[in-house]
Amino acid sequence: MDQELLMKQIVEQVMAAMNKGAASAPSTSAGGRMSAANYPLAEKEADKIKTPTGKPFNSLSYEKVLSGELTSDDMRIAPETLEYQAQVAESVNREAFAGNLRRAAELIAVPDERLLEIYNALRPYRSTKQELIDIANELDGKYGAKTAAGLVREAAEVYEKRDRLKKF
Amino acid sequence: MKSKRFEALAARPVNQDGYVQEWPEVGLIAMNSPFDPKPSIKIEGGRIVEMDGKTRADFDMLDTFIADHAIRLGNAEKAMAMDSLDIARKIVDINVSRDEILDITLSVTPAKLTEIVGKLTIVEIMMGMTKMRARLMPANQCHVTNVKDNPVQIAADAAEAAVRGFAEMETTVGIARYAPFNAMALFVGAQAGRPGIMTQCALEEATELQLGMRGFTTYAETISVYGTEPVFMDGDDTPYSKAFLASCYASRGLKMRFTSGTGSEVQMGYAEGKSMLYLEARCLAVTKGAGVQGTQNGSVSCVGVPAGVPGGIRAIAAENLIAMLLDLESTTSNDQTFTHSDLRRVARSVPQLFSGTDYICSGYSATPNYDNMFAGSNWDADDYDDWNIIQRDMRIDGGLQPVKEDDVIKARNKAARALQGMFRELGLPPITDEEVEAATYARGSEDMPNRNVNEDLKAIEDMMARKVTGVDFVKALDRAGFPDVAQNIYNMLRQKVAGDYLHTASIFDKDFHVYSGVNAPNDYHGPMTGYQLSEERWEQIKNIPNAIRPEDI
Repeated sequence: MDQELLMKQIVEQVMAAMNKGAASAPSTSAGGRMSAANYPLAEKEADKIKTPTGKPFNSLSYEKVLSGELTSDDMRIAPETLEYQAQVAESVNREAFAGNLRRAAELIAVPDERLLEIYNALRPYRSTKQELIDIANELDGKYGAKTAAGLVREAAEVYEKRDRLKKF
Repeated sequence: MKSKRFEALAARPVNQDGYVQEWPEVGLIAMNSPFDPKPSIKIEGGRIVEMDGKTRADFDMLDTFIADHAIRLGNAEKAMAMDSLDIARKIVDINVSRDEILDITLSVTPAKLTEIVGKLTIVEIMMGMTKMRARLMPANQCHVTNVKDNPVQIAADAAEAAVRGFAEMETTVGIARYAPFNAMALFVGAQAGRPGIMTQCALEEATELQLGMRGFTTYAETISVYGTEPVFMDGDDTPYSKAFLASCYASRGLKMRFTSGTGSEVQMGYAEGKSMLYLEARCLAVTKGAGVQGTQNGSVSCVGVPAGVPGGIRAIAAENLIAMLLDLESTTSNDQTFTHSDLRRVARSVPQLFSGTDYICSGYSATPNYDNMFAGSNWDADDYDDWNIIQRDMRIDGGLQPVKEDDVIKARNKAARALQGMFRELGLPPITDEEVEAATYARGSEDMPNRNVNEDLKAIEDMMARKVTGVDFVKALDRAGFPDVAQNIYNMLRQKVAGDYLHTASIFDKDFHVYSGVNAPNDYHGPMTGYQLSEERWEQIKNIPNAIRPEDI
């Protein structure tokens, strides 16, 4: 019961804040970009969200997890959804965060193991310049991960300048 | 003759603490060091060519990353030309909005940020926090660990902490290989106590990401960044590897924040003669530039360093404020033990607790201090009633509330039984009824029977090889007769598909509605604005069970 009260109170606070903000918050533009007005997407734009396996967000259910129809591969975020969330972030002037979400959207296609390997390769003294450039080309060519590839290329330049490449 | 007064004072807890005089040359100075760079910026061809007194040719790796990623160029020259004192005054001026402040502070360099907050007293810093934190309502985070890595106790402590009000929970390990059990026990315990609590397990970076990918956790925080290049290298990372890691998390629908804090560079011996606060401003700029939504900062595990120098605790509050001035979720430490004095440990938390931050502690130990595996915490389970009474005394919301013993016992018992059932269904070493009973009534691990550690570790290895994921937790809990807890785990996994909680300063309520800096922004602009305690919430905070009621007399 105590918890009920707390949550009710938080909901009231938030509703009040949302009403106040609604007048100034930009709504979805004609181009269909997401904004703070569409957030949270899970509640307001559920029909636009899909899993990376192509299943509509609204079709996900507890029962389907139990029956095995849904697996852990389904319980992941899709690139389009991260793009929507990036647009929401931009609508509240968080462009750096939006950039991270877009870079993340590109990395969804990279398998878990490979992603961990690339992260480790970016640590200091782990890679030669060529190895980093090869990774950038892989991200770019194999996964279409252009901004992530850009970050790796940038790192290759800076690591060289600062003498943080593999030593032998 | 010796003075008896001085003899008594010498025996006081505060005199068991260590103090040191300022030594700016080695960075042993909290803020306003004579060796801190003077703020400057020069932009040519859409690129920063000079920052804080250094030209691009002299930039180290952090300068390069910050100059290329962390500063909004459009307004930068104008903002840098403003008088720092004027900006400091705007921060405490209720007629200047949070958004107007951000227009300035997102466009300036680390040295400028340091100079601005250096003009503020501790009370003005608190006024700044009240206005600048991202989320409307404050919240709190706890640590749930124990020296035995006993998963049953973790589940029970998490459930109790949930009933007490924490919105986020963090565990870590004594024995590294226990991590998967700790993470799943925390997940199950938290969701048994109150749906929608986010959980994490602090580990080495790559391992932590792996557990997140497998659905054992829902967010991450222990992604450390540092203020000088040599310390960053010692931490075995770079701003670029950390920025990449940040995107890895988001690509799996996992919330994450970076961690940094004053004192880490001097503690690791490479402060480059700069103040602790200036170096922390660089950390926060790296965080911003990586596109991360938030930070855990406030000295954190290096608190002993700033706490030993003059003005150090003020500097810790100032670094929290800088995080907020960069529009980052502020998760404000108040964790590691730093003093023998109860008076000092309360005073250290006053700025964040009284102003309210996105997460006041990160975290509050949900166990007695002897079970806290993050080297103890400034606040622990034995202080629950103190925290509640301070909230009541000051009429503030520190994220917790008084609870009934019966409710806590019920929650602990349910969490322990749910984990028992889940272990059975996943073919893990049994949790006995004796363990469930002990966890239900325990204060700490001294009250828990020992588990067979070798058997547990072998089972963990096998479980990880079998590729067990969060989805398997859902199925196992349902089969074990805990469909409500299973539903909550399912709902947390489902949130990763939508990604709403990736946003700045997010929390969930028990119905999995998300509240963040997007839909619950802080709109404080003076008395009776911003977050106000509702009557219901005040009733909850003030009604401690041991208050005498006039009608009973």
